[in-house]
Amino acid sequence: MTMVHPPPTPAPAESTLLLHITGANKAYHGIPALVDASLTLRAGEVHALIGENGAGKSTLIKLMAGVLSADSIAMAVRGQPVNFREARDAFDAGLRFIHQELNAVPTLSVAENVFLNQRYPTRAGVFVHWRRLHRQTRDVLAQLGITHLAPGQIMARLSPGDQMLVKIASAFVDANPSAAGERAVAIYVMDEPTAALSTSEAARLFEVIDRLRASGCAILYVTHRLDEIFQLADRVTVLRDGRVVDCVPIEGTTAAGLIRMMTGRDLQQVYPPRGPDVQVSERVLLDVRELTTRAIHGVSFQLYENEILGVAGLSGAGRTELLRALIRADRVLAGTVSLNGAALQARSPAEAWDQGMAYVPEERRSQGLVLSRSISDNITLPHLRHLARRGTFLNHGRERRTSAEMSEAVRLKAEGVTQATWQLSGGNQQKTVFARAFARSPQILLLDEPTRGVDVGAKFDIYTLIRKINAQGTGIIMVSSDLPELIGMCDRILILRDGALVHTVQTEALTENELLTLCYGELSDDNQPASH
Amino acid sequence: MTTSPQATDDARSWRGGRVRWARLFRQFGTLIGFIVIVAFFSWQKPDTFMNVRNWVNITQQVSILGVVAATMTIVMVLNDFDLSVGTMASMVGIVAGTLLRDGYMLGVALGLGLLVGAGGGLLNGVLVSYIRISPFVATLGTLTMFNGLALYISGGTTIFGRAIPTALSDFGRGGIYLGIVDGQRITLPYLTIITLVVLIVVWIVLEQTVFGRRLYAIGGNMEAARLGGVRVRMLRLMAFVISGMGAAIAGLMLVSRLASANPTQGDGLMLRAIAAVFLGMTMSEEGEPHVLATMLGVLILGVLANGLTQMQIDTYIQQILTGGIIVLAVTLSSLSRR
Amino acid sequence: MKRTMYLTLVIALVLAGFAASAVSAQDGDAPSVVVMTPWLAQPGTQLMVDAFTEYAAEKGWDVQVIDTAEDISALISRMEDVALQDVDAIVINVDPTQISAGLAAVAEAGIPVFGMDSGTDPLLVANVTSNGYAMAAETATYVVDRLNGEGSVVMFIFEPYPPVQKRGIIAEAIFNNTPDITIVDKITPSFDAGPLEGARNAMEAVLLANPDPGSIDAVWAAWDEPALGALQAIQAAGREEEGIVIVGIDATPQARDAISMGGSFEATVAQDFPGIARQVADLVEAYLGGEEIVQSTYYVPTKLITAANALDE
Repeated sequence: MTMVHPPPTPAPAESTLLLHITGANKAYHGIPALVDASLTLRAGEVHALIGENGAGKSTLIKLMAGVLSADSIAMAVRGQPVNFREARDAFDAGLRFIHQELNAVPTLSVAENVFLNQRYPTRAGVFVHWRRLHRQTRDVLAQLGITHLAPGQIMARLSPGDQMLVKIASAFVDANPSAAGERAVAIYVMDEPTAALSTSEAARLFEVIDRLRASGCAILYVTHRLDEIFQLADRVTVLRDGRVVDCVPIEGTTAAGLIRMMTGRDLQQVYPPRGPDVQVSERVLLDVRELTTRAIHGVSFQLYENEILGVAGLSGAGRTELLRALIRADRVLAGTVSLNGAALQARSPAEAWDQGMAYVPEERRSQGLVLSRSISDNITLPHLRHLARRGTFLNHGRERRTSAEMSEAVRLKAEGVTQATWQLSGGNQQKTVFARAFARSPQILLLDEPTRGVDVGAKFDIYTLIRKINAQGTGIIMVSSDLPELIGMCDRILILRDGALVHTVQTEALTENELLTLCYGELSDDNQPASH
Repeated sequence: MTTSPQATDDARSWRGGRVRWARLFRQFGTLIGFIVIVAFFSWQKPDTFMNVRNWVNITQQVSILGVVAATMTIVMVLNDFDLSVGTMASMVGIVAGTLLRDGYMLGVALGLGLLVGAGGGLLNGVLVSYIRISPFVATLGTLTMFNGLALYISGGTTIFGRAIPTALSDFGRGGIYLGIVDGQRITLPYLTIITLVVLIVVWIVLEQTVFGRRLYAIGGNMEAARLGGVRVRMLRLMAFVISGMGAAIAGLMLVSRLASANPTQGDGLMLRAIAAVFLGMTMSEEGEPHVLATMLGVLILGVLANGLTQMQIDTYIQQILTGGIIVLAVTLSSLSRR
Repeated sequence: MKRTMYLTLVIALVLAGFAASAVSAQDGDAPSVVVMTPWLAQPGTQLMVDAFTEYAAEKGWDVQVIDTAEDISALISRMEDVALQDVDAIVINVDPTQISAGLAAVAEAGIPVFGMDSGTDPLLVANVTSNGYAMAAETATYVVDRLNGEGSVVMFIFEPYPPVQKRGIIAEAIFNNTPDITIVDKITPSFDAGPLEGARNAMEAVLLANPDPGSIDAVWAAWDEPALGALQAIQAAGREEEGIVIVGIDATPQARDAISMGGSFEATVAQDFPGIARQVADLVEAYLGGEEIVQSTYYVPTKLITAANALDE
């Protein structure tokens, strides 16, 4: 091999080119999701794939996995043309996929999950050889540097981070050359693997990735976290609107440059400022006294008109449960809530919505949306009676107009309001949930992790929306694990610990470190969450 | 480029074709199947199958099943089942029959029958939505209860003869005279009219009201519906009450058609109603039940029984074919969904 | 795509099957007779239908059997369908009062209907059956004679079905008319797991309630299945040696088998099912031949079955 001047797009030698995709096209119902996309993966590289939600990342991965058929694609593995028609084909070609969602079997042990796709070692060909299974599991885990998990532990008892590690170990087992031989696994596709991991767990994962890279594998790493890209990746491919914007080596790029490529514009500010004429007033909008449920204990605070109130705390501190108590999704055991000076009488979410509360839950897929139904149906769900004729008979025209109006307000990208929500990207799904919350100009808006899993561009849209609705007088309570977001958007932040309110801080001049320290209290910061 | 994977233009157009066929199959496969069945019987029995008289007959034959299937659709929109509808229909028939035998007015007997249906549905609803027993177990329990009650109230005997007023038995046989077609007297049976009314009401409830939209939301994602301001428990309760009333209407229609009340005469309705809803669900892209599609399912079952009888196919073979066609329809729809 | 093609092929074959069987069912101008019943799973009905089919074949008729699996409403629907067909006669095995809507439809089409162990109804040309009163009297007097007019009897009855109900009435009258016979219990067996199982469970309970040997002398059952159930219960309780006399009615193959072993199950009454079927076939033939049928009910004699003649056929 001779060294030559690096060409503009590096053309690697054939021997090191593990995967080569060109001309990938895919459209859903005539809407292009991927246009002439290309991708190369070389042996021994970590290749980041980034883009906003809806840019086509998931579509590309699904084509690689063989779970979706392309309108057209040319794909080659190690120079051999391949045509994946089902998941098994991709598996046989040596591709492994690690998804963000945990699809482990919670009732089985670590060892059983690690070997889930394999034949368990047996005695007499019938009985599971448990001792050998556990030994092999320990070996695999050790290879990955995971020493704190025992093969016999039940999956459900593990933290989400540990469960993710088990899943990765499972993909690694498949790679065991002794079993795979000629078809040795060479390509790992990881989709947001650190989403549920703590910093130390993420660091462990990065070590594993380094080891895989050193052994000559290629890793396609999909993420929203730019800091991880600079920490891990060798090259990065940027997608926007289904097209590949560029594929560049990581050296010489900056975060700002990547954001520009992803969004197609410069992001001057991550958090839009409060409008000049919007002031937090003295008027108390929501007065919460000694609110107690099974998960929170005696929480009291006030929310003022035009205020954005953040809620911070570690996971399990009762942040989500505070919002659930306010929207009346959880049973309130004690305490009072008054809205505009009058006691909130609601006993169910339905009544809470009717009294002017609105809620964006934490999990948009399982708690937010009815995925089988249209955008319009989802937006209008809490407001149906309001929109209907005589409160009973559906007024389809009015529903469509309202939801079209709201979709526009949240800058939702879709074929139309009758499109089913399962077809939307994550960001657009979240915008649908927002559109629902805004539709009747609520007095109080409860937001739980409003930008989780949402890309940079859509985040900015959502922040702008929050500012807009807040300027109209709506009080907002916002739970988030993204501390810069809380500091950037909120006027004050409530800090919860073990279900109790321990601090209330002004955000002016507050730093991320100070906030984090307040969340942890006197605990050591060994288990702090991965920074964003 | 060092590698040049082969062009896949052929594959593209071929796949495009497959996708279009698959969608067509998914949406209209069951309808196409129905048309094929009808065309086949028309070809085999040109004189007696494809005429007004026979179709009027078929509508009357499926009228009772139609009512139960329509209200069963409401429950199945919620992803629930009501297994008790068959024995409920029997029990309501027995209640009305007993009252009639004991000399109560027809209106009183029918009214109390409907009330019993609503009460039984309320029991199912409370068990499922407030006590949170799975619908399968809860309605399996009430199925047995209603069966026992029907046998207990009737003492196990069939109520027939003079106990059933002629007004009621004539109703089950009569209809509105429409005219003479091909030398045959055509009447629109009263039972068919009842079913049409029930069908229209259920269609309005499911497709045109806030209530129906919320039911579909619950069926799609119960938790999201609750957090989105839907009173899930109350709505589920109401769905079961409606299902109970549908079963009661069917039970009374049976008494009218059979001119007798037997403690087990409605038991077979449940399985066929569920089969009809499933047949209809094959026509929905999201796998949601819709009442008009359910009616197609009901008609398929009715036309098969009618046509196969006309072709003098042995009963056992009829059952094998009917079951096979149901399995085939659902298989085709789930294959094309992949 | 391949799968879709296979499935299309399957549909085509199924439809071809329809066509073939339809063609085979429609040969020539032979009279066509339809046998309709919801009770084909019952042994007696089966015997009659089989015999009738056989005689009809001898006479050169086309016979179609329609069974609606205990669904009487469906039977009415099928009668309406048959009314549209070119059918010469219909034979039913079902209580005619429950299917009057169907009988009306058939009558309108001018098709004659014959009852085969059915019931009397103005819309039937005639009904052929056994004399239920006589059968019950025969087994009840057998019990009275075997006990020499003295002892306690358990009765298995079933009131929902009129032909069986009348048997119970007669037997009860005979026992009550014998001063030293006491009726210990009158049981309607549960049908949940079949009458045999229901009767066995009930009999076990009776045996437990009457533990002394000789406290039960006889079991009278209105048909054979509860008699067999009672026999099993007695055997299971180890009380075979007490000489409890069991009698049934209908003479099913299982009952004949049990009687031939010479155990407690001593007697049953055979309805002459083939005889009924033959009589019906003859009536249909006579009617189609233009004869006028005046009698509304025909009784076919029955026969007491004991160990001596249990295996004759």
